[in-house]
Amino acid sequence: MSRNARCPGSLDELWPLLEEGVTIMAGGTDLLVRRRGQVPAPVACLERIESLRGVRVHEGFISLGACETHASLLRHALVRERLPVLAGALQVLGSPLIRNMGTIGGNIVSASPAGDTLAPLYALDAQLELVSKWGARRVPLAGFIHGPGRTGLKPGEVLAAVLVPPPEPSALQHFEKVGRRKALAIAVVSLAAVILTDGEGVVLDARLALGSVGPTVARCPKAEALLAGRRLDREALLAVGEAMRSEIAPIDDLRASAAYRREVAGNLLLRLAS
Amino acid sequence: MKPSSPNQPDFSFRHADTLSKAVGAERYSTDFTPPGCLWAGAKRAGVPHARITAVHVGEALAVDGVKTVLTGADVPGSNLQGIVHKDQPVLAVDTVRHAGDAVALVLAESREALAEALSRIRLEYEPLPGVFEPELALAAEAPLVHPGREGGNLLARGLVDKGDARAAMRGCDVVVEGEFETPMQEHVFLEPPNGTARLTATNGLETVVSTQAPFRDRFEIAHALGLDPMRIRVRAPYLGGGFGGKDGATVQCLLALAALHAGGRWVKMVWSREETFLAGYKRHAARVRIRLGASSSGALQALDSVMYFDSGPYAHLGVEIMALGLEHAGGPYMIPHTRAEGFCVYTNNPVGGAFRGFGVVQASFALERSLDALAARLGMDPAELRLMNALRTGEANCAGVAMESPTGVRECLEAVMAHPVWAGRHTWKEAAPPFKRRGVGIAASCNAMGYGRGLPDAAAAKLELTRTGTFRIFNSVADMGQGNAAAFVQLAASALNQDSSLFEVVQPDTRLCPPAGSSSASRTTYTFGNALLRACEAMREKLKARAALALLVDEPSRLRLAPGVVADEATGRSIPLALLGNMLQRDDRICVDQYVMPVVENPPDTGKAFRLGFPHRFFSHGACVCALEADELTGQVELVECVTAVECGRVLSARGVEQQVHGAAAQGAGLVLMENLAHQDGRILAGDLSTYLIPTSRDLPDLEWLAVDGDEPTGPHGVKGMGEVGIHGPAPAVAQALEDAVGLSINRIPVDPMDVLRALRSNKA
Repeated sequence: MSRNARCPGSLDELWPLLEEGVTIMAGGTDLLVRRRGQVPAPVACLERIESLRGVRVHEGFISLGACETHASLLRHALVRERLPVLAGALQVLGSPLIRNMGTIGGNIVSASPAGDTLAPLYALDAQLELVSKWGARRVPLAGFIHGPGRTGLKPGEVLAAVLVPPPEPSALQHFEKVGRRKALAIAVVSLAAVILTDGEGVVLDARLALGSVGPTVARCPKAEALLAGRRLDREALLAVGEAMRSEIAPIDDLRASAAYRREVAGNLLLRLAS
Repeated sequence: MKPSSPNQPDFSFRHADTLSKAVGAERYSTDFTPPGCLWAGAKRAGVPHARITAVHVGEALAVDGVKTVLTGADVPGSNLQGIVHKDQPVLAVDTVRHAGDAVALVLAESREALAEALSRIRLEYEPLPGVFEPELALAAEAPLVHPGREGGNLLARGLVDKGDARAAMRGCDVVVEGEFETPMQEHVFLEPPNGTARLTATNGLETVVSTQAPFRDRFEIAHALGLDPMRIRVRAPYLGGGFGGKDGATVQCLLALAALHAGGRWVKMVWSREETFLAGYKRHAARVRIRLGASSSGALQALDSVMYFDSGPYAHLGVEIMALGLEHAGGPYMIPHTRAEGFCVYTNNPVGGAFRGFGVVQASFALERSLDALAARLGMDPAELRLMNALRTGEANCAGVAMESPTGVRECLEAVMAHPVWAGRHTWKEAAPPFKRRGVGIAASCNAMGYGRGLPDAAAAKLELTRTGTFRIFNSVADMGQGNAAAFVQLAASALNQDSSLFEVVQPDTRLCPPAGSSSASRTTYTFGNALLRACEAMREKLKARAALALLVDEPSRLRLAPGVVADEATGRSIPLALLGNMLQRDDRICVDQYVMPVVENPPDTGKAFRLGFPHRFFSHGACVCALEADELTGQVELVECVTAVECGRVLSARGVEQQVHGAAAQGAGLVLMENLAHQDGRILAGDLSTYLIPTSRDLPDLEWLAVDGDEPTGPHGVKGMGEVGIHGPAPAVAQALEDAVGLSINRIPVDPMDVLRALRSNKA
């Protein structure tokens, strides 16, 4: 093992490395790309720390170990059956190679507004379990990410698990990523929706999150409120889509214009029109 | 060799290099890293147009492990690279003319030291105004890319015409006109430009390089650096892709310059992907304005087109590419009166160069889109319009050359029109799922084979019987993945009636192999294949004659080659090849023969600006149907079906043809769907593979190939080249399908999803 790549077997072995200022690596699919061409600096690989792995039901949450890879999460029945909105994002994340290496914790801490798992996790009201040698704390994902690459992770702290309150089994879960190609493409817009309806098809609760349309993933509270009490018909979804367009701040870049992103962001929910 | 038929292509032949490549045993140029070699790298300009006021190399020289840093002043010879037109400095001297120009060259003991030194070279410039748009570059007041040059920024103007297009246009019942743009395109070969070079003990230069033109490279290097071309040895192992981007100097001259300063040590240079985007050649961006006239029945009458090719600051093969564009302005159609005028223009954009489809891609898109407009105006089916105007054998193309070689464009069109994707399109479109609009489009194409008149398209082939009775083919034309080396084995094995396992291929090496032209222009299998068949014929006669000595046969002609032996059927006796191989001295075990591609014998009185490589005698043909789904909510376009029919004479290797069609169609699909360098004021904004997107396997449907039977009497086993023709279909077919699906008529590519959304919106309004 290279002197520059450390592989602690437990959190207790990790803490001193963090004090040395070693960078955490949870898959490396983003970190190593950003470091290309630079002098190698030490990293602490998290994949051998058992307590950062595992998918289980815990205290009413579905707990996803931060170092589960995208591929391992996709194989897990709890994710596929209870969190299809997340599974949908994992399926189109990167490529098979990226999914085999990248982790959900890494995707969160990278804090890209285009991170594919983020819109689903925002729509699922996910919380994060952060641990350090001094203890643990639990924070909502939405407050944790401050902007591109900026999070509330404190020095000496590591993301241990993602806690997802499972939606009602009857809830509609929907994910769509719009990219410029079907694999290995950064999202131009993505939509995650978790919508609960009553027996008559009237929306009781809607949670809508858009990716790649601002500095962080955006929840759309106005649109969510607008949808509550209505059916998923074309008219309602057009109105809600218009509200969503007003709740985002997209930019122009090489992949798409702000105008395109705004337009599509308001269109995507129409896919659910009954 | 088993005959192939259109319906049952023969897939039985296996490429000899399949296994070695699959298991990683094949040694590419980039795998050749002699122990202790030096590393060379270029400092790139970074700005599109500027006067160099200073190159500060002191800090770079101070980096531990740096051997030397060279600048333009250190280049011996002309310091000009170029294939036909020599205008590209190896190292810039006083001016940089595009952002990828090399300004300094570093030699270092390690890659780390090289990178460090490159980052420490400081360039001082006085910025110069640039020109980034060919038509603006032709304006009188435009900044000059090569000040003092006669002709200013106009590299070349050409005219190819027949009849009187402008007069005939006035007599047409219907005339459509349009302006079309095709973008620069990156080759995205897997293996980057790279090579290794050293000075030998006798002051020769030896190189191993990823190149499509090893024999010509000697002359380009020699001219640029003032060396003797005959003292330069170039070896060209299998390439990890080329597509035209390695036809002409990439690393060659820089490496040779480095070797001159390396004291006999090997020097290696490998471009990164980013450097390849920055400094490598691109498909020329082009703008084409067309007027196309027809009678009310749909019979084409007149074509008048003007093409502008953006050459970047250097000629490379720009003039030749424009010539081919003009020669294909009329496509595979019979048009009595044609006029195609072209302007190849210097700019400060990235350097235009060879790319599969060489000028034809640009011309073809514009013409096919114009045919679509004409079909719409006439209320005709776009396929029927193409079919009724398809060029027949004996008729003259737009350059006035009568098609002697059988043309198969009609058969290609008929094949794709009979395919369920076209024949069943109405039903399929009606079954579109929610939020999807479906459309189907069709296009036809042709692509010339070979260099054309004035530039002999030649190859010499050397074949050796080894002492152990096997055969060694000295391949003189680089195999960049298109499979020509395998095709040569197949041709030779068949000609000598031997099992293909008895053949070994020596890859191009200017010291061991006799000379041949480049791996380009859909010419490789045709020209070298013919030379090889002649060498095989000589070998067969020789082996029979020598076997006759041993078998005591008076008439060698009665002997036959059979697997492993020369046999006398009359007596039942035979002599093993191994025995013959052991019996003969080496000179006697070798046969060399050559072939030059025939040219148009009585060229038409046009295209006078093009002395080299005009006109062409042989063409392959193609037709393509694309079916797509456009998404109403996102404007995204998904290619659902892509069926290509190709007529390329007789099919020698079905697998080989199919793979070329796959690759070409995929590259054509990328061109129309997503590939976009996003260059602005001479800078490429999408200069890596995370921003410049090419299709992944998930973005492409099964790329179906339909074989159309043909026969080129002069071809080896009836073959015509077909490495390029498959690239032309997807762009116009997708454009037509998009118009069919959402009513969007595009005149530039790639497709922008925003335009699709706009079209959907205006259709609803």
